Amino acid sequence: MTKIKRRSAVLLIIILLLAAGMGIFLFRYFRDGRHWAAFSANRTAYTDGVLKHGEITDRDGEILLTMEDGTYRYSADTATRLSTLHAVGDRYGNIGTGANIVYRDYLTGYDTVNGLYRSDRKGSVALSIDAGLNRRAWQALNGRKGAVAVCDCDTGEILCMVSSPSFDPESPPDSFDSPEYEGVYINRFLSSAYTPGSIYKLVTAAAALETLPDAMQRTYHCAGSCEIGDDTVNCMGVHGDLSMREALAVSCNCYFAQLAVDVGGKAMKDKADALSLTSSVFMDGVPSTKGNYTLSSEALDTAWSGIGQGQDTVCPAAVLRMMAAIAGKGEAPDLTLLKDGPEGGSAVLLPEKTAETLAELMHNNVVTSYGESLFPGIRAYAKSGTAEVGGGLSPHAWFVGYGEKDGRTLAFVVLVENGGYGSSAAGTVASDVLTAAFDG
Amino acid sequence: MRATVSAHVHFMIESVYKALETVAEWSVSFIGKRAETALFFLRYLIPALGLIVLLRCLISLFREDSRPERWGRLVLSGDVTIPLMHWENTIGRGRSCDIRVDVPTVSRSHGALIRDNRGGWTVYDLSSRTGIEVDHKKVDGSMPVRPGQVITVGGLDMVFLPMSEEEEREQAESRRYRYQPVSQGFTLFLLSMLQACFFLSFFLDPSQPADGRILLGFPCLAAVSWAAYLFTRSIRRRAFEAETLALLLTTAGFAVCATSAAYEMTRQILFLIAGVILYFCVGAVLRSLRLVKKLRIPAAAAGLALLLVNVVFSEAVLGAKNWLSIGGFSFQPSEFVKIVFIFVGAATLDRLFTKKNLFLFVGFAAMCVLALVLISDFGTGLVFFVTYLVIAFLRSGSIGTVFLSVGGAVSAGLLAISLKPYIASRFSGWRHAWDFPYDSGYQQVRAMSAAAGGGLFGLGAGRGWLETVVAANTDLVFGVVCEEEGLIFGLTMILAVILLGVYAFAYAGRARSSFTVICSVSAAAMLIFQMMLNVLGSMDILPFTGVTFPFVSRGGSSLIACWGILAFIKACDTRQNASFTVRVPGRRKRNAADVDEDVRIYVRGSEAEHD
Repeated sequence: MTKIKRRSAVLLIIILLLAAGMGIFLFRYFRDGRHWAAFSANRTAYTDGVLKHGEITDRDGEILLTMEDGTYRYSADTATRLSTLHAVGDRYGNIGTGANIVYRDYLTGYDTVNGLYRSDRKGSVALSIDAGLNRRAWQALNGRKGAVAVCDCDTGEILCMVSSPSFDPESPPDSFDSPEYEGVYINRFLSSAYTPGSIYKLVTAAAALETLPDAMQRTYHCAGSCEIGDDTVNCMGVHGDLSMREALAVSCNCYFAQLAVDVGGKAMKDKADALSLTSSVFMDGVPSTKGNYTLSSEALDTAWSGIGQGQDTVCPAAVLRMMAAIAGKGEAPDLTLLKDGPEGGSAVLLPEKTAETLAELMHNNVVTSYGESLFPGIRAYAKSGTAEVGGGLSPHAWFVGYGEKDGRTLAFVVLVENGGYGSSAAGTVASDVLTAAFDG
Repeated sequence: MRATVSAHVHFMIESVYKALETVAEWSVSFIGKRAETALFFLRYLIPALGLIVLLRCLISLFREDSRPERWGRLVLSGDVTIPLMHWENTIGRGRSCDIRVDVPTVSRSHGALIRDNRGGWTVYDLSSRTGIEVDHKKVDGSMPVRPGQVITVGGLDMVFLPMSEEEEREQAESRRYRYQPVSQGFTLFLLSMLQACFFLSFFLDPSQPADGRILLGFPCLAAVSWAAYLFTRSIRRRAFEAETLALLLTTAGFAVCATSAAYEMTRQILFLIAGVILYFCVGAVLRSLRLVKKLRIPAAAAGLALLLVNVVFSEAVLGAKNWLSIGGFSFQPSEFVKIVFIFVGAATLDRLFTKKNLFLFVGFAAMCVLALVLISDFGTGLVFFVTYLVIAFLRSGSIGTVFLSVGGAVSAGLLAISLKPYIASRFSGWRHAWDFPYDSGYQQVRAMSAAAGGGLFGLGAGRGWLETVVAANTDLVFGVVCEEEGLIFGLTMILAVILLGVYAFAYAGRARSSFTVICSVSAAAMLIFQMMLNVLGSMDILPFTGVTFPFVSRGGSSLIACWGILAFIKACDTRQNASFTVRVPGRRKRNAADVDEDVRIYVRGSEAEHD
């Protein structure tokens, strides 16, 4: 009997196994319960997959969307509705990156003690965007397709995020079939990749600074065009012999095409990877569309890639993060759309020395090419881009960079689809929005 | 004539439903908005009462005077006395022998000294090297031994002095409860309060129409609870902890049934009554080891026959063909085979040392598991297998045997999985339920979402949505309980089952026979393991195998069988007048003819084994 009594301890082993399993369950329950409860099949929080209750505001508490018993009520102001639609999201979840989907864990009103009990206590989410700034950007785009975004380089908070085309969620059009609404559900800032054009010369410059010891002293000749192997790369002007500083300011194609060939396709690709242009950047866990750099053994392909006209594409979100990295001496914070968002991490995208050199070159661009009057009272750093898209269409206009004023550093990215020349089409939008961002 | 009677009964029940519904509607409209306030408090009262009932059972089990019983002594020369603490005592040199004789001439497990129901003692020679003598006559296999006789083990003489009937009566008297720190009746009263809370939750809820079937269910549940208690008291037994824990779990099961399948409420009551009756029947059998021994082979045969019928005639429900339909009444044979399985697996000490017995059980277990694999009831097969491991370990004590069985089973299991795509699909999504929320993880993610939605105190009885998911009230029942009654109440249910296990473990050392120890420990292991598969399976920590949560999951077969299994756990409780499955010795006059019969049975049995 003594023997059997001892052996009955096997029961304790089973109880311990159960306790271990329950420990894992409880750990997950308290860590992930908020997320579990926000699953769209949970009928306490959703009706047919549509969130019943919740409220989304901008950073100043301006209400952008109220959900009550499954009824969606957007802002009373039309421009606010149109300009914040992609940030806030639509009722049917067609805009997959909308806050009503991404932050639903917080919108359900879940709390650990009560779960979803009395779910009419709606959860509230304050976005980091400033509705006023969004309206401003929307007006500056003036109906053209594209994306505008501004972020705080210290915190990673997105202050402005507009994607065009948009539609009024309070009175949606009968049909989205017309070209006017092409890709209307896509947040172009986060979920599109475009040919970068000349803004990619910053990547080529960064690659050169790290692979060629004499990069800053090197000169190349521009005769309005240059020979790469048997082919020709054309330039917008005839620039003669120029240094990297001068070449970036005038955005010389010949200089950067030849530089890219000397840097080599491998180093170009490595730089694109290091700047996370070819991978997703994450905004509160939502991945951006990946850009692309196709490594080629042909010198001509490498030359075209060096001026952003090859196979390469970039996502505006990744470009914005790259700008934040240049502003932050190589280190960029993780992007967030939440006011006082989750304690985000940061990542080093490029060496401090490279970042400082690029910053100096970009400021020189503003001084010598775009004019400091574009950003009154702001110390600005910028690069324009005019990305040829072919098919007889106007090129995409880019304007990217950052500005410093009163101890704040704000990075921006502006993309105007088929907008024409970069500095004039996108530059004015950037000027408008950045000025407002610092003043507001 | 019969048709008219049943029509009358039907009409009467319907009238009761109608009346209850009318009263409920009237009450809700009368108290109006205060109904919500009442429901608000009920939400906290339900987990609180559950916890208090659980705690009172815990305290009651461990605060009561439970000194071990004594049954006699062996006197060696020089006034050395060895007490006999059990009905079954091993003699030998081994450290874990009950009667330890540390002399080189004694084998490690030399012999056994065993008492039967009627107070007769028998000495067994467990194939020792030097043999055993009684009054200097060699014991061949076994021999009855009378008070005052000298048992010689390895040259050492011991005078055998069992307690007389008079002494046994005195012992019983001295161990009788002087006071009871926890009143069982009051604990049951609190449980009835809990049942009343559930009743009120459904009665007062303005958001859903009152349902007479639910409203009648809870009073009936309380009535069955009290009937079981009064019956226990009427046969002069006082302990009611195990029954209270089972009733607590059954109450949660009724709440699940009410929210998910109100139309089943009436049947659920009948199932509970059947379960409680089965509980007392199994317990009655366990009172007599002699009866147990007679019933083992027929029980094993009946169990196998049941499974065989199942394999041949079963219907597939959700992939597993574990349902059998007879005359419109469908049941799961495998649930009842669980009772037989434990019954067949357990053995008295004298049989533990004979290999033949173990082989018979191994064969029986293998056939059971094979039958369950054939009908694709993988989860139940696993429960049987783990129970088998526990019994095998309790009987042999050999880790080696256990590991060998595990190895064999894993390869057999892999074979089964490769042959059965339905089982493999259950494993494919395991631990990745959230990656497949619309196919292989469908049920689990919904269970997790609902459980989290309930928070610590639940949404309120009847106010969840998980019951609309397939198998919610059986396989996902933990999710339903957590959603409606909250995490605290859900954990209380788990602790209640664990407490049954702790109960079995704590009293294992004081049990009279190894048979009851094996019964109670393996029964507790079976219930706990099955619950573990259910809870952790639905929460995506273990593979989702679709077994039931003991007492809580809806389903007649499962509920009835769980009550039957509960009797095994109760059998180890040797507190005075505690368990009805344990006889109070010395109450009945010993009959000389009976003693002789006992002896003959033992002798016949041992001859058969030693041939």
